[in-house]
Amino acid sequence: MTSLRAELAKLADGLLSDSVPGAPETDFTISPEKVDDAAAVLRFAAKSGLRVLFWGGGTHQGMGNAVAADVVLTTHRMSRVIDWQVEDLTIVVEPGLTVADLEAQLQQRGQTAVLPETAPGATVGGVVAAGLSGWRRLRYGPTRDRVLEVVLATGDGRVVRGGGRLVKNVTGYDLPRLVVGSLGALGLIGAVCLKLWPLAAAQGMVEVADPRVALSNAYRPLAVIETEVKAVVYLAGTSEEIAAQAERLGGRLISGHRWPDPPTGRWELSLRVPAGQVPRFVDRIGSHGWAYQAAHGVGEVRFAVEDEGSGELGAMRREAEAVGGALVVMRAPADTDLDPWGVVPESTELQRAVKAAFDPLSIANPGILPGGI
Amino acid sequence: MLSGLSRGWLRPRGRKEDGRLSRASGSATRPMSLESDLIATLGPERVHSHPLELLVYDKDAGVTRGKAIAAVLPETTQEVAACVRLARKYQAPVVARGAGTGLAGGAVPAEPALLVVLTRLNDILEIDAEARTAWVGAGVLNLDLSRATEHLGLHYAPDPSSQAACTIGGNVATNAGGPHCLAEGTTVVHILGMEMVTATGDVVMIGSKAPDPSGLDLRGVVVGSEGTLGIVTKILVKLTENPPAIRTMLVTFDSIQAAAAAVSGTIAAGIVPAALEVMDQPMMIAVEGFIHGDLPVDAAAVLLAELVGLEAGVAAEADVVERIAIEAGATSVKVAADEAERALLWKARKSAFGAVAQAAPDYYLHDTVVPRTKLVDVMTQIYAIGESHGLEMLNVFHAGDGNLHPLVAYDAREPGSEQRVRAAAEEMVRASVAAGGSLTGEHGIGLEKRDLMGLVFDPVDLDAQARLREAFDADGLLNPGKVLPTGARCYDYDLGELPGGGAQ
Repeated sequence: MTSLRAELAKLADGLLSDSVPGAPETDFTISPEKVDDAAAVLRFAAKSGLRVLFWGGGTHQGMGNAVAADVVLTTHRMSRVIDWQVEDLTIVVEPGLTVADLEAQLQQRGQTAVLPETAPGATVGGVVAAGLSGWRRLRYGPTRDRVLEVVLATGDGRVVRGGGRLVKNVTGYDLPRLVVGSLGALGLIGAVCLKLWPLAAAQGMVEVADPRVALSNAYRPLAVIETEVKAVVYLAGTSEEIAAQAERLGGRLISGHRWPDPPTGRWELSLRVPAGQVPRFVDRIGSHGWAYQAAHGVGEVRFAVEDEGSGELGAMRREAEAVGGALVVMRAPADTDLDPWGVVPESTELQRAVKAAFDPLSIANPGILPGGI
Repeated sequence: MLSGLSRGWLRPRGRKEDGRLSRASGSATRPMSLESDLIATLGPERVHSHPLELLVYDKDAGVTRGKAIAAVLPETTQEVAACVRLARKYQAPVVARGAGTGLAGGAVPAEPALLVVLTRLNDILEIDAEARTAWVGAGVLNLDLSRATEHLGLHYAPDPSSQAACTIGGNVATNAGGPHCLAEGTTVVHILGMEMVTATGDVVMIGSKAPDPSGLDLRGVVVGSEGTLGIVTKILVKLTENPPAIRTMLVTFDSIQAAAAAVSGTIAAGIVPAALEVMDQPMMIAVEGFIHGDLPVDAAAVLLAELVGLEAGVAAEADVVERIAIEAGATSVKVAADEAERALLWKARKSAFGAVAQAAPDYYLHDTVVPRTKLVDVMTQIYAIGESHGLEMLNVFHAGDGNLHPLVAYDAREPGSEQRVRAAAEEMVRASVAAGGSLTGEHGIGLEKRDLMGLVFDPVDLDAQARLREAFDADGLLNPGKVLPTGARCYDYDLGELPGGGAQ
């Protein structure tokens, strides 16, 4: 290790840093300033048989199989806005920029990247890698429809660009969509170009009794969120438009948006099922008294559990899988028996081959995906 | 009709060796085993290999013609898988094909190949009104799905001009677009899952009705892969709610640049209409001659803008679009008074290519994409390129997302005309790329633009795409010679010497 440390120190001149709070103890923590430096580190790691864990804001590190790592590569020094074409509604940013910072900047020009509304500390790279979407995906689609171009430092140290800074483009294979949700298994995201949406003139919320009925009565609302406390329809448009929507919903219009904070607990879970199945699972989760947030029309229920003694999570997972869904662990105690993913997808062998195309020696977040990919 | 002719090639000993199976039929003892095996699997009626029969299958709606060993018409996923396994056994390349409405040669074999025609997988298998999804066979026609879901107040959003003829499987292969992809996104946005036959002839399910599949999300790379990563046989699509109110406007301008400026201005003002289409005067004249719709043929350019949503929002946005158009120099603004007028405007837009096909002996339809802010500049250059080659050019394009479709009408019988058309095409692509654009917005790379990929990607990028392709198809069985230029996988990446005693 001594000679490795010397070589790595030379390579990462000035980029070695103290370990990051929350990150596992490793021999090296490196904070590159640009994607080329990250690629050089990955190349060195591949040559040296070192396994690398990527670290953004650390907010979603609870996802996936545990990664045994020799090096932690952090993105906090890569947090610039590279190119913002305000009139073309596109922006290119580095991965370490926090979602909150990005959205605050965009808001000043009346735009949004529609990334998660409540994820304090989360970075753009982390959210893209984790494949997480904002509540407003019901109206604007998931994050995977937002990433137009990606620059990736691959697991063997190449710097590869895919897609383009264009809202419509079918030139070559869609690497941006492949990277979304890949959890670092292909390499480190060095930059992404995001498609932006204009913020509507007026925003409002209406509390409703039956979210299922509301979903069919409202015309393309931003979100219909049900929690253990209430169900709320989120609206945007002109003030006349949202007033008309509130009338259709038969509720009182509350001005502005207030998004619920994610439910927290010892286990934090994301249930993903066909949209029509949400009410059934909400009933079941609610019957245990667990805190939850259900995205009606989308098919995701986020919930938190303090004590999982009963095997109920496993049972619920099997039911979700039976309808083509999944129960994904977002955070769990270290000693849990609950697998982070559940059943492996049918396409696992193809996924393994795709991983190898980018990370042939399997050093980039090794084993994090289902099937130990 | 061809049965008398086809009997000849069906009889093993009577068949003259013509070398068409050169990759497959090395053994003289089994001169036509691929065909025999295919016939044993599908029956003689669904295996075509007579040259006259193959004329129907060896080209698309573009200008390139290829060579097929045989064309087969499977009716189930299992039959598709069986065909792929047979092709693999005889090392014959496989090209999947839908209705053949593509324009970039994606379904035209680059080398003699087995054509797997998917038009018979044409059942709408399930419509789930609550989840707003449908499972369809790859051969279902685009427009048929929207018709089948109309009574539920739903439609399938991507609407290429060929939507009455093109298949959803073909749309998946090219990641097809259409006017209404401006607000709704191209095909990939609407594909939730698929059943796919892999290069090894296995069947795999990708995605589902549940959001955010676990593991690597392969849906995005398969959509738009032009049949090079697998053959998609069943597709789970997202359906979109029909809007309660629609406002369709026809705005005239005295220059194409003014129309383009109105488009850029609308996007910059933070309005994303359902569609923003521009047509120039030569195209309007051609369309008017075709549909006789009393179109404003005196205008240099027209903008077709459509706003959808709730009445209150649509009215407010229409006012803004009108104001921006007038600031950009609009000479008239007309709003469709009823559904019949709206239908006429869309008929005009979607008849454009048919109109040209009727008026000119040949045409070449381009497809490039540029940032919306560069529309005025690039359109000016495109006209100059057409003029410098002495070509007759007509324009109709998805202006709202910067997707240009210059169309050159010509007569291929005229010596040198095709060379001029192709030279102009490459200049137009280069001009688009120089403005920050790309090779194709919706038609795909296919054969047409394969060798231009180096304009937008570095060798290391192309190499990564080639490696990705190998991950799905290590032997290059599926649609070889498409998408990536020859030699894309030549970038040798060397990790170098291992550090002295470093790795254990």
